[in-house]
Amino acid sequence: MPTVNVKWQKETFQGIEIDTSQPPIVFKSQLYTLTGVPPERQKIMVKGGILKDDADWFTLGVKDGQKLMMIGTADEIVKAPEKGPVFVEDLPEEEQVVALGHSAGLYNLGNTCYMNSTLQCLHSVPELKSALLSYSDNVRGNGVDQASHNLTVATRNTFGELDQSVRPVAPLLFLQTLRKKYPQFAQQQNNVYMQQDAEECWAQLVYTLSQTIMSETSEPPAGPVKELFGIDLVSRVHCAESGEESLERESIYSLKCHISHDVNHLHEGLKHGLKSELEKASPSLGRTALYTRESRINELPRYLTVQFVRFFWKRESNQKAKILRKVDYPLELDVYDFCSDELKQKLQAPRQLLRDAENAKFGLKAQGKANSSKENEGSSSSAGESSNMDIDKADSSARNKQLTGIYDLIAVLTHKGRSADSGHYVGWVKQDDGKWIEFDDDNPSIRKEEEILKLSGGGDWHMAYICLYKARVI
Amino acid sequence: MPIDALMELVQQIVSFHMKHNAEPEAVDLLMEVEDLDLLVEHVDSTNYKRTCLYLTSSSKYLPAPDDMLALDIAYTIYMKFEDLASALRIALLLDNKSMQYVKQVYTATDDLLLKKQFSYIIARHGLAMEIDDEITADDNDKEVLQEIVNNTKLSEGYLTLARDIEVMEPKSPEDIYKVHLIDGRGASSSLDSARQNLAATFVNAFVNAGFGQDKLMTGPSDSSSSGASGNWLFKNKEHGKASAAASLGMILLWDTDSGLAQLDKYLHSNDAHVVAGALLGIGIVTCGVKNDCDPALAILTEYISKDDPNIRIGAILGLGIAYAGSHKEELKTHLSTVLGDSQSTLEVLIFSAIALGLVFVGSCNEEIAQSIILALMERSEAELAEPIIRLLPVALGLLYLGKQESAEATAEVSKTFDEKIRKYCDVTLMSLAYAGTGNVLKVQKLLGICSQHLEKGETHQGPAVIGIALISMAEELGAEMAVRSLERLLQYGEQNIRRAVPLALGILCISNPKVNVMDTLSRLSHDADADVSMAAIISLGLIGAGTNNARIAGMLRNLSSYYYKEAAHLFCVRIAQGLVHLGKGLLTLSPYHSDRFLLSPMALGGLVTVLHACLDMKSTILGKYHYILYIIVLAMQPRMLLTVDEDLKPLPVPVRVGQAVDVVGQAGRPKTITGFQTHSTPVLLAAGERAELATEKYIPLSSVLEGFVILKKNPEYHED
Repeated sequence: MPTVNVKWQKETFQGIEIDTSQPPIVFKSQLYTLTGVPPERQKIMVKGGILKDDADWFTLGVKDGQKLMMIGTADEIVKAPEKGPVFVEDLPEEEQVVALGHSAGLYNLGNTCYMNSTLQCLHSVPELKSALLSYSDNVRGNGVDQASHNLTVATRNTFGELDQSVRPVAPLLFLQTLRKKYPQFAQQQNNVYMQQDAEECWAQLVYTLSQTIMSETSEPPAGPVKELFGIDLVSRVHCAESGEESLERESIYSLKCHISHDVNHLHEGLKHGLKSELEKASPSLGRTALYTRESRINELPRYLTVQFVRFFWKRESNQKAKILRKVDYPLELDVYDFCSDELKQKLQAPRQLLRDAENAKFGLKAQGKANSSKENEGSSSSAGESSNMDIDKADSSARNKQLTGIYDLIAVLTHKGRSADSGHYVGWVKQDDGKWIEFDDDNPSIRKEEEILKLSGGGDWHMAYICLYKARVI
Repeated sequence: MPIDALMELVQQIVSFHMKHNAEPEAVDLLMEVEDLDLLVEHVDSTNYKRTCLYLTSSSKYLPAPDDMLALDIAYTIYMKFEDLASALRIALLLDNKSMQYVKQVYTATDDLLLKKQFSYIIARHGLAMEIDDEITADDNDKEVLQEIVNNTKLSEGYLTLARDIEVMEPKSPEDIYKVHLIDGRGASSSLDSARQNLAATFVNAFVNAGFGQDKLMTGPSDSSSSGASGNWLFKNKEHGKASAAASLGMILLWDTDSGLAQLDKYLHSNDAHVVAGALLGIGIVTCGVKNDCDPALAILTEYISKDDPNIRIGAILGLGIAYAGSHKEELKTHLSTVLGDSQSTLEVLIFSAIALGLVFVGSCNEEIAQSIILALMERSEAELAEPIIRLLPVALGLLYLGKQESAEATAEVSKTFDEKIRKYCDVTLMSLAYAGTGNVLKVQKLLGICSQHLEKGETHQGPAVIGIALISMAEELGAEMAVRSLERLLQYGEQNIRRAVPLALGILCISNPKVNVMDTLSRLSHDADADVSMAAIISLGLIGAGTNNARIAGMLRNLSSYYYKEAAHLFCVRIAQGLVHLGKGLLTLSPYHSDRFLLSPMALGGLVTVLHACLDMKSTILGKYHYILYIIVLAMQPRMLLTVDEDLKPLPVPVRVGQAVDVVGQAGRPKTITGFQTHSTPVLLAAGERAELATEKYIPLSSVLEGFVILKKNPEYHED
């Protein structure tokens, strides 16, 4: 009866006797008592492989003092969980969009980036989407022509596709209806559709939508689009020579930011844009005279569109040339200074509320610190009450959501290149989670907020052409 | 003048040169008159080191038989002056006479300690050697030496290093990705992506390689065996589970005792992929570590003829990895049966060929070559169009790795192949046969192949580009020239050449992040062609493998945000990130060791296989053969200097580590390192670094301070 040493994991069992007259299973049960590994899980290395249960000890030639190695554990065997995990790769395409975190891109159909970027920016306005959703296919409002109707339907469908698809969308139908309605976009050069001015596309599209989408409830028919984007201006036209003065009212869809040599910031550009000089016939003087026209905002929209007037018609080159000047714009825009006195009055209360809410936030934070450093129950409870009251107030006013004149940047349409009819347009849209997405046609990519502020011009990089601001309400 | 008179003159000149510090001139002259043997009688104990250094360095630039002769002379001189460790290194380089010379070195001394040092060198080289009675008669000594040759203590030494550097704490893939440094780009999906989980599996395996613990597979404690490990395993999909199970082998690398125990439970799983992975894991655990009981052989051969092809591949590849370079006869029979079996599926066949190639790497075994050739000839048109078929020529080439002319007979036979594979086979065979030789003529030939304009569908230029790198990686100068030639190929080459260039750069500078190569790869990683950029990303990982290089890590982080939407690219970025932090920066993939003097064929074989698989990433690594990546384990070695005392216990001593200086042909005793810092062992050695003892108290038994070095007390040392 030879004795062997059995090595198991890091242990070695010395001097185990093998009864060579018994089958190996007996040896295995010997080891079972030592290691606790059931015989069927034991793998014992002998010459020529693993020790079989029916092997013959004599043919194996086990020598006295030989070292054997046993592998095996009493560990529980790994079992697959009953319910396997679901992988992103397993999901159908529609559900992968959620995982992606942003909507799809739009294919460039041949110099249509002006249209794609416009669509992507407007797509970021949820109210516009919902207004479009309620627009039905067959009901056509009064005085709405077929082409406008079709364009509205196409816009609605394109927005719908953007929301559902993971893959980039080809806005073929939209392009077709757009060109039907506004044939200037079908302009060709050398048999190729030309690049167009995105601002023109934006303006025309918003105008069309404002005509077609009418809410049945509001009377007189001021459409939801006007509510969303329309800016009411009141202008004082003054003639210094004759002292004549008159008031004019108008409704526009975007504020213009004029860029001259002394404009470095959006604020200055807007101020510039609201003031203009014009020559017109003066009834009292009986000749043309110089009038100054100063506009003030009388009613603010929910979404403020600001256009940088970067292009001007250059006669010598016969094209729209571009002003490359750097004009900074803020992420948070306050238009209080441009409002009429009447509107300023109205804004005062909500602005105070907003300020209070912000203060309360900071106040609470400060209070929290004080609490942790020393116990001051009295003051903290009173602060708590006051903040509670603030919240109550805010709640009550939230129902009619008052504008504050403060706007947050939500989308930027940029242009890269030297003239409006060439170069490349790209839309940059802020997402709900604070990330920005650059929609470069069919290729959306994530951007940082700092990168958005770098689109202010002054080089050959993308520069902001249209900014869309969303009103902060309280 | 008669020849004898001239030789008389030569004798005088040589003797004069040798006495006056002009060894290079003496050697040059003797080479010129083709009588290097004369050198042996003229060297003395003061100049033999310089002479041998000149001989060995110049041998790299000599044509075929002369280089061997020079090395032979160097060996004789080392033996004459009893610098046995250096003699052993040359013996390992002279591979056709290796075993004979190695035995001579062993028998030249009775010092057991010295023999232990020899065994350490042999273990690092990966030479499978049986310690027999000739080497030592004593059974106990035999066992000790065999244990060292078997690499049994490698895991222990590696962990000593890890504990000393304090990197034992397991790292999770997230610690490597460092998403917080990339703002907001990390896809924060609530769902798991199978591909990203697979990437995490590899990253986890590479980063925690050899440490025996991690955060995904081994879990916090073994008591809850079905806890963490089971969960992560099943967070992988289908064949992904195979890689996940095999990753356990990588984590427990070299630690066969606990490795086999932990993998055992997976063998009993009813999921074929898990079993396949566990089998592969067994192979990985025992990679480079031999055991008298051969547990890997015993277990894996049980599964080699199972029905499920996945299980078969797991077992076959496991055998290939476990016994790479061992030339083990049993495996020839086992694997050849699979290869010759007409019932085997194509993939089983290919992997058994690769396993044979790895096991018999550089063996020139005609029998195996015949069976692989036969397997290649029997493939149908459709099978030859499969992308994975490219590994068959590689397997054939592995048999002749670095054997130069010996491959010629087989190359002749390959001319009869189907034309689809003929050129591919031809180029692969040649590039592998001359790998690591620095043969300029072959490099030129391969460059010539790259300058041809191919008809559609031909793919042999990829291996040609990799071949340029493989051949010229032998020495620094050639490598530098190759980098320049590759730059040219990049500019003028066609697309299939451009795709291989990043990989070629990767192998040229493996684990050696040179700034110019890093910049080139960084540029290519944004290439418009997806294959080029993916190859460049993987290569960034290769050149930075095991270095923790901050610059590459930063590049890869940026790439991970740049490619956050492209699943395939992202996978490559992750793999590269795992490679850069290989073994938390303690490992190297470089097949060269001992001062870049010796080339480990098994390591090179592993690298070549992975590189060739990377030539078509879409259908290999990005497809279902991602476990090919584990073959890289063959090249993984700790880049350490661990000094041990006479009882082989770690012994901390001060050492100077600095940039190595080329001192070939310099008179006197020039400084061999520059810009050094003094550390206490164990220390890490970066590429191009050299160490020297900073104390007189001990004498190292090996002149090259790398890996395990035994220190002997200096009898002449007196403490002041």
